[in-house]
Amino acid sequence: MTRDRSSERTSLWAKAWYKFRRDRIGVVSLGVVALYFIVALGVWLGLWGQGWSQVDGPMWAPPGPDHWLGTNIIGQDIFERAIYSTKTAFEVGLVVAVLSTLLGGFFGALAGYFSNSWVDELILWLMGVLDAIPFYLFVAALAYALQGYPYAMHIAMIATFWTTTARLVRGEVIKLKNFEFVEAARAIGLPRRLIIFRHITPNTFHILLVQATIVFVGAIKSEVILSFLGLGVTDGVSWGLMIAESTQEVQAGHFSNFITASLFLFFLVMAFNMFADALQDALDPKKVAA
Amino acid sequence: MPILPRLLRCILLLAALALLSACSDGPDIEGLKVYRHSLGGRPTSLDPVQSATVYANHLVVNLYDTLYAYKYLARPYQLKPNLAEAMPEVSADGLTYTIRIKKGVHFIDDPAFPGGKGRELTASDFVYSMKRHFDPKMRSQGSWLWAGRIQGMEAWKKAGADYDREVPGLQALDRYTIRIRLTRPFPQLVHTLAQGFSAIVPREAVEYYGREFSIHPVGSGPFRLQTFDAVRAVLVRNPKYRKEPIDLAYEGYDPKTQAKYGIEEIQGKVPPLVDRLEIHFIKESLSRWNSFTKGDEIQFATIPRELLDEVLLEKQPQVVLKPQYARRYFYLSGLENGFVHTDFNMKDPKIGYNPDPEREKRNHALRCAIRYAFDWNERNRTFYNDMGLVFPGIIPPVVPEYDPEAPRESIRHDPEKAKRLLKEAGWSATDLPELTYGGVASVTSRQMFEQFRAWLTRIGYPKEKILFDSYASFGDYNKAVKQAKIMIVGMGWGLDYPDAENTLQLFYGPNGSPGSNASNFDDPEYNRLYEKSSVMQPSPERTRIYRRMNRIVQDACVTISGLSRRYILLWHKKVVSFPDQSIVGGFHLKYVDVLPGRDGE
Repeated sequence: MTRDRSSERTSLWAKAWYKFRRDRIGVVSLGVVALYFIVALGVWLGLWGQGWSQVDGPMWAPPGPDHWLGTNIIGQDIFERAIYSTKTAFEVGLVVAVLSTLLGGFFGALAGYFSNSWVDELILWLMGVLDAIPFYLFVAALAYALQGYPYAMHIAMIATFWTTTARLVRGEVIKLKNFEFVEAARAIGLPRRLIIFRHITPNTFHILLVQATIVFVGAIKSEVILSFLGLGVTDGVSWGLMIAESTQEVQAGHFSNFITASLFLFFLVMAFNMFADALQDALDPKKVAA
Repeated sequence: MPILPRLLRCILLLAALALLSACSDGPDIEGLKVYRHSLGGRPTSLDPVQSATVYANHLVVNLYDTLYAYKYLARPYQLKPNLAEAMPEVSADGLTYTIRIKKGVHFIDDPAFPGGKGRELTASDFVYSMKRHFDPKMRSQGSWLWAGRIQGMEAWKKAGADYDREVPGLQALDRYTIRIRLTRPFPQLVHTLAQGFSAIVPREAVEYYGREFSIHPVGSGPFRLQTFDAVRAVLVRNPKYRKEPIDLAYEGYDPKTQAKYGIEEIQGKVPPLVDRLEIHFIKESLSRWNSFTKGDEIQFATIPRELLDEVLLEKQPQVVLKPQYARRYFYLSGLENGFVHTDFNMKDPKIGYNPDPEREKRNHALRCAIRYAFDWNERNRTFYNDMGLVFPGIIPPVVPEYDPEAPRESIRHDPEKAKRLLKEAGWSATDLPELTYGGVASVTSRQMFEQFRAWLTRIGYPKEKILFDSYASFGDYNKAVKQAKIMIVGMGWGLDYPDAENTLQLFYGPNGSPGSNASNFDDPEYNRLYEKSSVMQPSPERTRIYRRMNRIVQDACVTISGLSRRYILLWHKKVVSFPDQSIVGGFHLKYVDVLPGRDGE
């Protein structure tokens, strides 16, 4: 006779991990994401993908032993470029996910704790203003205004992505701030910053984690779109740039650049989306408690 | 049965019919001869003082008159009188030009004139039109053509640009005689009087429309404007246009090369030959091609780069269309009147002039090494479909001064020599300067940069020291070039007139940023020769000086030059035309005829 061992676990994280491991799609997705991460790490360490800028092949060579996925118009190896672009994607995804999550967590916690005060009003107004501007228009405008600065695109995305996280955290903090452990902290005279950031915020980590994965995928997709529009990556290569290059090539009957970049992007985004879903299910307190 | 729904249905039906009729040609053009031209861009202003683009020029020379024009069919290009009665009388010292204009030429009828009737065009209209270029309020884009060359014009400008004050060097001697006095000889003056910039406008219309004048052209050209928007301009025949039957022999007709286009059909006819001229502005080359091939939506186009292999049977040595296209379209191919080149900014001490003579010597070696690393054949193959013509220096093949026998050392790709030069000058990977290559944030610019970077890495230049300096638009890029902010500048130049002086001035010291000299090259010997030759009439001596200047630029390794691109123009078989997108430009449109019975299919 088997017993549900999840009931033996007491912490939310342990229960969530147990639940996540039972989600086959989630685990496979995590494996795919990990594979991409290893590829990106290898590029970082200089193990592979370093020949992305070399022009050593003929123009539009078909896939073959020298160039596994062919070459582009100036003779660059498409496989090398796709591999290197994984690093670009992770770089953008990580920077934007971490910083926008930190920003969202910070402002969300402040707004939640001081709900219905002027602090809350101000933060809500700011988020309202940012959310009212159509996303891509705003990102494009900011990236355009900061053009020439290599992190213009990152700043643009962070400036817009943090608001959703902040709204979610704010709601959670409003709920948490009336819990007994917070009342107790107040009763013993702990300063507000400690109550907010040491006692309340750690209880929103499950939201931040899920939100960070969503932002990660959103950042990669946005980078591709911005690079396609000529507003993204300024140095290096990305799947967006490869797709932008391919718009001319496809007309001439050369599809390798387009297919390669699209598939690399597709599998990563799909895997990350499914991983984020699985993580959300695993960390949902209602489902974990069940 | 309720009345309202029935009424509503009727209204909707009528509205739908009205919309559908708007999609068709409409009854207003039934029975009219219509030619539908296309351009790859749109003019922002139709005011001659703003006609800096080829797109604006195409419209301006058809809406207004210029004193001179280019013969329709003569190649090499030849000037001819247009509004002028004859070629100018030039004084022996080359400083005074006397030009008589045709009598009885009238502006189109327009509310700007008393009673709405267009008055006669006189010599004082030309004087007024030229003065506008020097009125700071007009923000002329063409004043550089005559700046400092017309006696008293600068003083007139400084004194407040009062149009009622006379300029000694620009006078109407009587109703039909113009006198231009120059500060120094300017052999290219007549060429400048064949450009849209010198088109003649009536003062009444400029004052009547104010800022709106840029979209309310009031001229005396072969056409008048009916509508103008972001998508197309519709021009209709100007019934008042002077009657001058076409003389093909005078226009430079060459039966050997032009008979195949059926141009004899227009002999003796009076231009303009069509009642309605539509000029469609289609930026996307593929959209333009689709409109061109699907019927009569447009009747003139170029082949998109991506479809060259599909459309062409042969690219070299001659362009030949595949039979299925050749059956339907006429085509014409040739070298552009201009060239592309990549300049080094000599104002940048890291690569150009340097206070330290030793470093300047090393910089010279560095520039020459980069030039040897540059592979023109590869660039031609990759970006110009292997159809461009690579030539040494800055005198392109379309001008008479071009020297086909000139040494080709400056366009030789020799990475080994590049490495040797770097080594001899003491450059190593650690001390080579950081290079920034300027360009627009477009796929092609980036690919050109990446190709350039790859060539340099092959001669040992560290990859991380070669950076792309991208700009959001060509306007931003051009602004940065004008401010001498870019180290390595990729440029293209289209000739304003068929004289090598127009390209040699690109390296004349005083024309440095913000002028047209993007390299900021400033060589005393070159400057002296330019000043000497710029006042000379065409002669073997002038050609010799031009070629010497070309040599100086090459020896200084100040530019990686050049390549003239090949154009291919196509038009429907029922259209009688000999199109030109550069020097003759819009002048050819009044000679275009449409013969409905001559379809290619």
